[in-house]
Amino acid sequence: MKKISLIIFQRDCMGCHACEVACKQEHKLDVGPRFIKVIEKSPVYIPIYCHHCARPPCRDACPEDAIFRDERGIVHIKEERCIGCKACIEACPFGAMQFDEEREVAVKCDLCYERLKNNEEPACSKACPTRCILWGDMKKISEEIQERLLQQQMI
Amino acid sequence: MGEATRIRTVCRGCHGGCGVIAHVKDGKVIKVEGDPKSPISHGTLCSKGLAITQLAYHPDRVLYPMKKTDKGWKRISWDEALDTLVGKFKEVIKEYGPESIVIGQGTGRDYESHLYRFANLLGTPNVLTAGHMCYVSRVAATLITCGNLPVCDYEGEPQCIVMWACNPQWTNPDEYKGEVFWRAYTRGAKLIVIDPRKGFLANRADLWLQLRPGTDAALALGFHHVIIEEGLYDTGFAEQYIHGWDAFVERVNEYPLDRVEEITWVKQDLIREAARMYATTKPACINWGVPTEQTLNCTDCTRLLTGLMAITGNLDVPGGNVFFVPPPVRTVSEFSRHRDLPPEQRNKRLGGNQYKLASRVALITPKAAWDAILTGKPYPLKAGLLCGSNPVTTRANASEVHEALKKLEFLVVIDFFLTPTVELAHMFLPAGTWLEQNHVADNWKRHGYILARQKAVDIGECWQDHKIFLELGKRMGQEWWDTVEDALDYLLEPSNLTWEQFKERGYLKGEMSYRKYEEKGFSTPTGKVELYSTILEKWGYDPLPCYREIPESPISRPDLLDRYPYILNAGLRTPVFFHSELRMIPWLREIRPDPIVEIHPDTAKERGIRERQWVYIETPRGRIRQRATLNGGIDPRVIVAEHGWWFPEIKDPGHGWDIANVNMLTDNDPESHDPAMGSTSLRVLLCSISPCEDE
Repeated sequence: MKKISLIIFQRDCMGCHACEVACKQEHKLDVGPRFIKVIEKSPVYIPIYCHHCARPPCRDACPEDAIFRDERGIVHIKEERCIGCKACIEACPFGAMQFDEEREVAVKCDLCYERLKNNEEPACSKACPTRCILWGDMKKISEEIQERLLQQQMI
Repeated sequence: MGEATRIRTVCRGCHGGCGVIAHVKDGKVIKVEGDPKSPISHGTLCSKGLAITQLAYHPDRVLYPMKKTDKGWKRISWDEALDTLVGKFKEVIKEYGPESIVIGQGTGRDYESHLYRFANLLGTPNVLTAGHMCYVSRVAATLITCGNLPVCDYEGEPQCIVMWACNPQWTNPDEYKGEVFWRAYTRGAKLIVIDPRKGFLANRADLWLQLRPGTDAALALGFHHVIIEEGLYDTGFAEQYIHGWDAFVERVNEYPLDRVEEITWVKQDLIREAARMYATTKPACINWGVPTEQTLNCTDCTRLLTGLMAITGNLDVPGGNVFFVPPPVRTVSEFSRHRDLPPEQRNKRLGGNQYKLASRVALITPKAAWDAILTGKPYPLKAGLLCGSNPVTTRANASEVHEALKKLEFLVVIDFFLTPTVELAHMFLPAGTWLEQNHVADNWKRHGYILARQKAVDIGECWQDHKIFLELGKRMGQEWWDTVEDALDYLLEPSNLTWEQFKERGYLKGEMSYRKYEEKGFSTPTGKVELYSTILEKWGYDPLPCYREIPESPISRPDLLDRYPYILNAGLRTPVFFHSELRMIPWLREIRPDPIVEIHPDTAKERGIRERQWVYIETPRGRIRQRATLNGGIDPRVIVAEHGWWFPEIKDPGHGWDIANVNMLTDNDPESHDPAMGSTSLRVLLCSISPCEDE
């Protein structure tokens, strides 16, 4: 099965936060966990999000083996196994792992697994007005990045 | 539990227009997403639109009419509410005349046709909107200059885009959406950004002109100077289609670049380079933003920017600034029955003799209304109906606004929540959100489209604004229709579509043609682009545009500098709120919990202010608190503060209207108004900034 990735081309992120609200709505999240979050350092905007690492430090840090990477490369949490120790939060080098204080479990981006099953694009990517949230297989993403860099005369 | 049905509709979270698919299950909207078939937004949707379910189903939203009693707000029926309002209005009309009733709206999203119809048939000329300093002022100034509002033709592939005081990806400047701009930009267009603040676009621009806030008109004169001096203008067009060319050139000659640099703080070389780039890269368009209108130079700045489009041959050409052709439907103006407001009533418009351009587009400057309430001069205002408007936070000199509205004998507000303005009212009418309306949306815009906003659900006893005006109008004995949809059939009639048919179509686009002036000329008295305005001249104003110094600036008020050493650029926008709305939406407030004021790191150091610290901002009118953010992309002499703040979580009736509200600091002295339009100077003031003692 083809692996799937999601990368945000940060240079084109203009800090509108549409992705954040789209994600909240899709995952029915209340205030608290933010699977995707844009930090404003005007004029630069820094999206914080799960990179679905090939060797996920969150998985390696989990003492209960509650975190796994599926055959498409999407990193999931088995919530029923999570003990709420927050080791994964500390381990994530991107600050992407979140914690649901109500249920006391770690929560994270699942790359809109349910939407992907219906052949729909991830909610964050769909809302983005600069289309800087790139997803799919790495070949497709690499081509898109290259195209953007050429277009913007960066290479 | 059934499957969700998908209803295609149109957002109105800001000025609306983005296509939405609403997922409805068991009579409730459970999710919204962008409509990929939308010609406006192509499937994208912003944070405000995406958060609509949290607005529509918010626990604090009031879902029924209420009246204020000695014991506070009390629920009443629609019949009681409408009868009370109509009874009171009839009393006022009998005793004082219809002009003693003020009808108002905020940003007015798609109900101005109905609101104006109600006001005109009522016989009151006093309609209070944001139009004196937002969009309508731009329309008004272009109407008298070139007959219509020229809008960027992004789909016509501009090769150079001038983003003049605008950030279309964060906010909605009416016709424009960030998404179409972005497409044009990423196709390789050059980008010139005029902005006192280095935002995302300024950072990406080929040229960034960091001007002194409020000096846009002077900078535009500088552009003209370069283009005329270097012969970069379209000589054929100037000869054939510009009225008063020689006089205009003479006026421009009064603004050599050294003077312009002194006024605007922008280096001469940079002005020259930018003017050359704009004039020689074809086609080019100017995307203008509202700060150009929120000074006393409102009309002239708009006229000067229109002039740039004209003299460079970019008016009504593909990829330039164009006059989009609307679809064949009844216009807002026709629906509104402006012609039926009797001339004797029109003559009574508050401030009408002073602000003749505002009067031409049927609105008043707010100061005229507050004065009439507070002083009874030239005649008293006795009753008011405000729709989707929160002037206590959004109009200049909030203290005076608050005092005036509090004094109004009878005030009714149509809204979603108990805002600080609603709390001053005697009655509250619950409006439907855009999920709860059937409407021909965007009919008032000049982008060539109309869009079907289709009702997804009904919530509580809320009525869409249009229905409120229709039912009120009928009770006042005015000519209306049985239902909202019947009125839409009337609106759509020239297109040979009924509302039901239009709803299925989703949208209509007018058939575009360019260079219409070659056949028809421009819709002005001379048939030309009137850089020398025969209309302004007739009205007794300067027929040629100029730059007037900002009334409260380091140059005009050096006496204030000891106490107020910084320029306050008020009105910083956020991407997650729209003016004074949405502070109660959890998803959005989580992103932006506090009002933000940006200051340069050097200024922060000088004043002992740390990042994230609460600070006081003070002007001669008052003092507020906001939270400081350091931004090296603004001039150290400038402070940039957000607007629209109140605190829905504060439960006392004031809801913290005066804590962080930037309009506690702004001025509405007539001296600071645009002479023809009555625009208030919302943007540029002198201020001091200091850390809060309790921090």
